[in-house]
Amino acid sequence: MALLEDFRQAVIAGDADGAAGIAAGIASEGKASADEVIASLSAAMEEVGGKYETGEYFIPEMLRSAAAVERALQVLDPYLFERRQEYAGVVVMGTVRGDIHNIGKDIIISALRASGYEVHDLGVNVSADKFVARVKEVDADLLLLSAFTTSTRQALVDVLSALEAAGLRDRVKVVSGGAAHSEELAQEVGVDAFASDVKGTLAICRELLGGKHLPGSGGETGC
Amino acid sequence: MNSRERFQAVLAGEIPDMVPVIPVVDGFFAPGLTGRPSDECWQDNDCLAGALALALERFGMDGVVAEMGLGPAPEVLGCPVQIEGNEVPLVTDRLVETRADLEKITVPDPWSGGKMEPVERLVALAGGDSVILGAVRSPFEYAATVRGLLDFMGDFYRDPELVRDLIAACLPATLAVGRALAEAGVDAVVVKDSFASTSMISPDHYREFAYPAEREAVAGLEGIPVILHVCRNSLPILPLMAATGAAVLEIDSPVDLRQAREAAGDAVVLKGNIDAVSVIEKGTAADVDAAVSAAIDAARGGKFILSTGDSVPLSAPEENLAALVASGRRYGKYQGGDA
Ligand code: B12
Repeated sequence: MALLEDFRQAVIAGDADGAAGIAAGIASEGKASADEVIASLSAAMEEVGGKYETGEYFIPEMLRSAAAVERALQVLDPYLFERRQEYAGVVVMGTVRGDIHNIGKDIIISALRASGYEVHDLGVNVSADKFVARVKEVDADLLLLSAFTTSTRQALVDVLSALEAAGLRDRVKVVSGGAAHSEELAQEVGVDAFASDVKGTLAICRELLGGKHLPGSGGETGC
Repeated sequence: MNSRERFQAVLAGEIPDMVPVIPVVDGFFAPGLTGRPSDECWQDNDCLAGALALALERFGMDGVVAEMGLGPAPEVLGCPVQIEGNEVPLVTDRLVETRADLEKITVPDPWSGGKMEPVERLVALAGGDSVILGAVRSPFEYAATVRGLLDFMGDFYRDPELVRDLIAACLPATLAVGRALAEAGVDAVVVKDSFASTSMISPDHYREFAYPAEREAVAGLEGIPVILHVCRNSLPILPLMAATGAAVLEIDSPVDLRQAREAAGDAVVLKGNIDAVSVIEKGTAADVDAAVSAAIDAARGGKFILSTGDSVPLSAPEENLAALVASGRRYGKYQGGDA
């Protein structure tokens, strides 16, 4: 659909006004379904992430697109809320204790919101207790931990132990990621999965939730 | 030749007896040598100066890097800072939320509160023979910190005027600290521009925002040699970095030194570029040796200082620093004009 293609392009170009304008049209005239809107936003952020990986985009360009997503979602929220039975999943995300890197985390959060997840952002330098309390409070499906320096190993271990102690480890899937964080480290500390870019993160979140919560998953497969 | 003479010779464009070895050993790594937790050492001027002097003595390198106060965290600009245990000082909140907060950016007095003391003491302890570098942050980096890096980079498209005004408001801080370092007796000032590389921003944005401020900083620090440090991949912007007038460009490990020389031209001194994390922190002494040999080979022809690409982390093994110096000495002797 040309409208959704324009929408996608507006997000990729980081044109917040354009994206918000198209979003307003969609919301007032019902020109696209909730699923189509989410699929289009999600594809746009995935492409933005891809452009960063290949060196075409830099951090300011990614942030510009993330801002366009946020603007579009502001306009679309009531519309999507009425039409969607459920979020794609409930996510709690933050950067672990001792670490204040937040750019990668925020990009992932925008991509997740664009993909229909309800995301609770705890910010940076987050203690294990705080993660656990929020996971419990919002009954999260996924806990996403950003860890950018290798010295955060202990902080990751602490979060997992605290989840265990609170009896929540089986109820929430834990994913970690971030620069200087590796697959090995992730395995060593015992998270369920690891990803290092936008595309990989979205794929893993989908996989871990088994598609059961995906919008429009009343029979057909989700995105 | 002693270490300082070696360094001065390189800056003067002459070929010294051997390649100077000045890794970025600063307040991150050095406190560990004292056996005291970093936070304690950071707040004790004697400890910090002593730690850096100890590094010089223990490893026999030609120089180290001193910063004022809590160096990497611009408490000098009034940002709240948390320091805990062996963790790096963290800026916990930003200063500039809206344009109106620009006036909160003041020019710090670097001499207040004894913040210059670690530098002065180090110069007194070791400055005769060894090279003492003093580090300050660029206006672009200070601006990113007082605004919060995330919002700062968001402002590039949202409000470029604010970006320019922030940077302009931070220039006096860079100059004040840089001049104070010079007054305290350092041999050169390292202007660190950690976020200006193409690992973060496009070459166009570098040209628009970071480069003009670097130039102004170099010009404003006239009389003292400036080492311009940009973290990560600086290859696409090296020609402009060379045009800032800096005497030395510090090259981080993602950049190939031969390509760096080609991009930066023949006039400027290059300093680099052993990977501080994968080689020095995580590698073996043999890895260090191989990396040093390759770097010195790539930097044939002088105008070169062997260094790490970035700060040596606290947990780097001492034997790797010893290996860095030993291999630097082994491969770095100039004979008949070449190393
Ligand atoms: C910007 C930056 C900073 C800024 C951060 C400001 C901010 N607001 O975020 C400041 C100056 C504060 C900083 C401080 C430090 N930093 Co720093 N920093 C960086 C830098 C240059 C860029 C990070 C970034 O934003 N990248 C862009 C984003 C988009 O990429 P990303 O973070 O990788 O995120 C992507 C993926 O990782 C993934 N992802 C992110 N989070 C998650 C979470 C999940 C669950 C998943 C699945 C995926 C995922 O998706 C993102 C989108 O693609 C990196 C170098 C680098 N090349 O990454 C170093 C780096 C991360 N820093 C490093 C270090 C060491 C530090 C310091 C200790 C000091 C120092 N010596 O520089 C302090 C530590 C402070 C602390 N305790 O946190 C090291 C870590 C090395 C290591 N092995 O530990 C790095 C790798 C640089 C290096 N020397 O090699 N840093």
